[in-house]
Amino acid sequence: MLKVVKMVGQIVLLWVIYWLGNKIMSMTGIAIPGNVIGMGLLFVLLSCGILKLEYIEEGAGFLLKHLLFFFVPYAVGLMNWGSVFYNYGVVLFVAIVLGAIIPYFIVGHVVQFFHREDKQC
Amino acid sequence: MLVILFTIILTILAYLGARYLFMRYKSPWLNVVVISTAIIIITLLVLDIPYQAYSQGADIMTYLLGPATVALAVPLYKNRLLLKKYGWAIFVGIGAGSLVSVLTAVFITIYGGLTREVIISIASKSVTIPFAVEISRLSGGNAALAAAFVVATGTFGSVFGRGLLTMMRITDPVARGLALGTVSHGQGTAMALLEGEQQGAMAGMAMALAGMLTSACAPYFLNLWIK
Repeated sequence: MLKVVKMVGQIVLLWVIYWLGNKIMSMTGIAIPGNVIGMGLLFVLLSCGILKLEYIEEGAGFLLKHLLFFFVPYAVGLMNWGSVFYNYGVVLFVAIVLGAIIPYFIVGHVVQFFHREDKQC
Repeated sequence: MLVILFTIILTILAYLGARYLFMRYKSPWLNVVVISTAIIIITLLVLDIPYQAYSQGADIMTYLLGPATVALAVPLYKNRLLLKKYGWAIFVGIGAGSLVSVLTAVFITIYGGLTREVIISIASKSVTIPFAVEISRLSGGNAALAAAFVVATGTFGSVFGRGLLTMMRITDPVARGLALGTVSHGQGTAMALLEGEQQGAMAGMAMALAGMLTSACAPYFLNLWIK
């Protein structure tokens, strides 16, 4: 029982940081999503030692373990898009496949190049 | 009200069932999101429940996605020493990869004659769903479609990613992890973890950084570029 209370408390704390991220976004009007600002904020809070890792670690671990669950309700929204896939399936397939192969190549070789340079230094 | 409760229970059961299958057989073909989504859509169609009824429950279920994204800062923080050690390689690699990923998808769909809504939605296919949904919202895409492209990209990466990297002679574990995380987000990270701890840590970091970088830049440029 105590474990559940602790977990819920930690998730609430993460939610507060998320809420702050959204507030910062709406107050400054920048086009960076609130969740990204919240993530940056949490990283800074952890790095400065204002927030200790154990205050949020279990709640964060639970949410990340089940991150895929949150994808499901969005994916069900596909029900409404059958005709687009029927008509443009080939184009979308090519975009997905080439859009993965080309960046794989770029990231892999760029990192290998720089990583090797580092080793020589 | 009863319908909302039913759709939530259905979603949780479908997810847990699909997750059990994946954990049991560990095959990249048993995609948790694809299987649970298929179960739910078929059930809704059989019982003649319209999507509008499901979407009310969906709003409740995705409520925790925001805090879950914020939680991605935790793996980033835990790996901050790696971030320092490989600083340059990481930033240049992830930056170039994210940019090329957006450009490839956008060019192909523009020349394929798709509508703006679809083009915007596919632009964010390489970042994990919460980022993709927000990018879509800020630039005029569709959340469900964006999510679908993310899942399609992740599934492709989890099945073929490691083989492709080997064919391209990318052997450095740091490079392999970063490529899988940058291009194939969480699903790629899961595969990188199967390969090794260093690959997994790198992929998790790449997923978080690529998401931040793309969300910070993409909405602005997409709004300017595609009218």
